[in-house]
Amino acid sequence: MSDARIEGYARALFEIARAEGTLDEVEDELFRFARSYESSDALRSALTDEMVPAERRQAVVESLLGGKSTATTIQLISMVVGSGRGRDLPEVIDRLVSRASESKDLAVAEVRSAVALSDDQQQRLAAALANATGRQVNLKVVIDPSIIGGIVATVGDTVIDGSVRTRVEELKSRL
Amino acid sequence: MNLFAVIVGAGDVDPAQSLNWLFPATSELIYGGLASIIIFSLIYKFAGPAAKKGLADRTAKIQAELDGAEQALSSAKAEAAEIRRAAGDIAAERQRLLAEADSQASALLADGRARLSAEIADMESRAESEIMGMSGRMGDELRVEVGRLSSEAVDRLVADTVDGATQQALIEDFIRKVGAGS
Repeated sequence: MSDARIEGYARALFEIARAEGTLDEVEDELFRFARSYESSDALRSALTDEMVPAERRQAVVESLLGGKSTATTIQLISMVVGSGRGRDLPEVIDRLVSRASESKDLAVAEVRSAVALSDDQQQRLAAALANATGRQVNLKVVIDPSIIGGIVATVGDTVIDGSVRTRVEELKSRL
Repeated sequence: MNLFAVIVGAGDVDPAQSLNWLFPATSELIYGGLASIIIFSLIYKFAGPAAKKGLADRTAKIQAELDGAEQALSSAKAEAAEIRRAAGDIAAERQRLLAEADSQASALLADGRARLSAEIADMESRAESEIMGMSGRMGDELRVEVGRLSSEAVDRLVADTVDGATQQALIEDFIRKVGAGS
């Protein structure tokens, strides 16, 4: 999909969520769904296979998110998948998240952790990242067991890597 | 009638009435003498030059043969001298060829020895290089294997070590360091 079209979808989703008054919640749910989509080959295959009818792909979305996400989130994802743009879903969502954060004068901070962070940890981490980057951050936590332990935080072009995986890789390269 | 019968019968006849048994009649002598003179003159006149020519030719032929023999003799002597000289040259050439062969053999031998030495040195160098390469490859393979085993050991060690408490400690440490880094 062209950059303008992705931006168009992101703007449309953003406007719908803001009009619904559930932007923060929808943005967070969409972000989590995008990360799941990226990490699951089966999900990607199910939502991008053009041999599967659009209704069937939308039914997959509803069965996955039904009862776990807001109706707005489900409808937005179904709309993108139904229009045959499932392949661009993560990029559309990332643009939406950026747009939502910018509307609140926040920087998106993608935080990857091997285990879930408590609310207290998230608040302290957000404060620490704000101090480090000089901007308030919209913290997006992704559970990623592949980093083994620690945290990898990405704010814009800045990456702060405190993961065990990176330390292990450094140790392996020295070995 | 044979001569003996003439001689024996001579005593029986009258010498005045018959021819002398020894001397012919005078006229016969005269005619005979003239005829002989004429015949000898004719022979001398007509056959003499041919005979002289034949003798002269024979003499010339003999002289030519003698000259040819003389020439052949001198040629033979010259050839003998040439052969003797050639024999001397052959001996000298033989000596020269032998010396040259010795020289070439010595040069070939020296060249062969030098080439052999160079080949041996080259083979030694290659063998040494191969040994070094093999040693290096084995060292590399050993290092790779050690690295692989170490990596596996690290993975297992980390997986066993990073428990819940460690996870929380790592997170807290990260938050503290990021906050302190500002």
